[in-house]
Amino acid sequence: MTDRILITGAGVVSAIGCGMAQTLDALLNNRSGVGPLVYLKTEHKEFPVGEVKMSDEGMRKHLNINDKEITTRTALMGMIALDEALKDAKITPEMIPNIGFISGTTVGGMDMSEQYYLDYVNNENHKEYIAVHDCGSCSEMTANHFGKFAFITTLSTACSSAANAIILGANMLRCGEADIVVVGGSECITKFHLNGFNSLMILDTQWCRPFDATRAGLNLGEGAAYLVLETEESAKKRGVKAQAILSGYGNACDAFHQTASSPDGEGAYRAMKEALQLADIQPDKIDYINAHGTGTPNNDLSESQAMKRLFGDKVPPMSSTKQFTGHTTSASGSIEAVFCILALQNGFVPVNLNWSQPIEDGVVPVHQPHKKELKHILCNAFGFGGNDSSLLISKPEL
Amino acid sequence: MMEKKEIYVLSAKQISVQQPLCEDWMSQPIEYQQPFNRSIDPSFKDYISPIEARRMGKILKRAIATSKEALKASGLETVDAIITGTGYGCIENTEFFLDALSKDGEQMLSPTYFMQSTHNTISSIVAIQMKNHGYNVTYAHKGTSFDSALQDAMLQLRLGKISSALVGGHDEMTETFYNILKKGGMMGHDDEMCGEAAVSVVVGARNDDYLCKILDFKMLHKPTMERLKAMAAKFKADFILTGISGDHKSDEAYIAEAKELFGDAKLLKYKHLFGESFTSSGLGFYVAAQCLKAGKIPTHLFVNPKDITDKKPSMILIFNHSDGTNYSLTLMEA
Repeated sequence: MTDRILITGAGVVSAIGCGMAQTLDALLNNRSGVGPLVYLKTEHKEFPVGEVKMSDEGMRKHLNINDKEITTRTALMGMIALDEALKDAKITPEMIPNIGFISGTTVGGMDMSEQYYLDYVNNENHKEYIAVHDCGSCSEMTANHFGKFAFITTLSTACSSAANAIILGANMLRCGEADIVVVGGSECITKFHLNGFNSLMILDTQWCRPFDATRAGLNLGEGAAYLVLETEESAKKRGVKAQAILSGYGNACDAFHQTASSPDGEGAYRAMKEALQLADIQPDKIDYINAHGTGTPNNDLSESQAMKRLFGDKVPPMSSTKQFTGHTTSASGSIEAVFCILALQNGFVPVNLNWSQPIEDGVVPVHQPHKKELKHILCNAFGFGGNDSSLLISKPEL
Repeated sequence: MMEKKEIYVLSAKQISVQQPLCEDWMSQPIEYQQPFNRSIDPSFKDYISPIEARRMGKILKRAIATSKEALKASGLETVDAIITGTGYGCIENTEFFLDALSKDGEQMLSPTYFMQSTHNTISSIVAIQMKNHGYNVTYAHKGTSFDSALQDAMLQLRLGKISSALVGGHDEMTETFYNILKKGGMMGHDDEMCGEAAVSVVVGARNDDYLCKILDFKMLHKPTMERLKAMAAKFKADFILTGISGDHKSDEAYIAEAKELFGDAKLLKYKHLFGESFTSSGLGFYVAAQCLKAGKIPTHLFVNPKDITDKKPSMILIFNHSDGTNYSLTLMEA
């Protein structure tokens, strides 16, 4: 790869905390944010979830947004993460008109639409929320809180949306379309997809167990994370340092089934392989894989096969962090990319919590605290429809 | 700045409120009096088996048909990437699921509608049909959803990551959803007609039978007039394809701005034929490509009748924006 893509800032909010510091503390101390449902209004209290520990009102207060402003939970979480990312990268308001914003979401304003749908159909109540149902509105509400970005677009590839936003951002920098782009994703839990996942029978009523023989489904989570991607030249000019390098990325389609992964993990295999090829790095240089690892029987087996195809019998230390946050769906690609940056900077592999028995023919995850220097990390995010992406995040000084 | 590779439009196919999968609208446009109309569908049995089709919403069937036709017309066996833009995704299935959720509660929901309700269902079902493992993403960003997909394809073509891409723009509209959007002030202004969009185009390196060339593309969010003028200076063409839609106040501002930016270039329109939706700009792209290929611009596309000319167009600029928020400029050459 010719031009280095620098990550010069990051911001995150999820069930394990608001901001990079709380997130690191939770990861290092194996503190999960998954628990009984508190904020979402649903009949399905039986499912543990990884909610961000704030009500919409709490987030409004936190962001200093008045009651009258139309917004959605996904946009609010997006603003919290974006605020931290911009500050972290020392981006000032007057720089924003020259910066692009690329976000991933699938639910968009569904949290409001599912509450008010019958009103939309039958009467005039809550009609002000109709215009913010779509995904693009969600990105714009998030971005507009900080200024007028040079361009805004939205990726919607289900659970790999944020990872694909990161890939687009990198390609834009490499084409000279911008010097700085802010990329990532945001997604709140909605009744819509909680029920959708439930109808597909892929939710576990217990704490999820990725890569465990007894795994029985996923726990939903929510959150947002954004990364600031920047060219080397721009960072040098501004005097900001790279926290990590996006040294490779791959996107491939499993092209197998609408909601299930192929038995041989074809899409996942291709995405990871492409990321390595772009970075021109051999598989044995990978120090850690942050797996997609949702905890569904299907995903973890398919992803295990993909890892074994690429790495043979030398699969690097691997873990899923979904037990910490729940599956943050569209935001998972950027939230977990932030986890990878923290792991690189602090020299540890996040523990695959709640694990006890290996999957037959699967890969054994890192289930004990594991301190070591990391140089190259693969971060996987796979979506419904076989939209599989993998990011390769590396230490700035090798 | 990297050197710009030449990018060609190899094929472009549509299903819309005009005759499907053909260019009859050039000589015999269908005119509508009422604001809500659904697309004219072709027979889908040539593209999808009846068993598969039974479970699919209209948006998916149309995407498969236009994609297969576009691939066939491109002369390529396969493409390196499938990139889709859709403002609302599979809204009919979303509506069914929301309706059941709201009326019947949370205990008896079937997975059928949910499985085909996400935005990326479209791109992935096309990939499954074509057995395509290449790059596959979906953009959902209002009136620039198709434009975002096109931009992605162009970036990767320029980087040499891919040599061809199937770019789609797909939105469907149900009567219930149309009425909701109207209530939300997003549709149904004055003479505005809504139109479902299903457009598939193949872009890549030149072939024998290409439609036109894409010279440049730019997307902007809430640009200042100064920035727009700087950009317009780089996107010069004799013909400007605008997205005026029949919304009087908005059209007035649109035309005034286009005149300020592009001087006496001739303004064209297409939404009076194809209608308005989040991905109608995909139909605009299709219209521009077909006009360049045909070497003529049908008289009914001119905003101002005194501009009508039978001059062969050499370049068309697609000037797309929605409510002055998201702009895109696409410069196409014969």
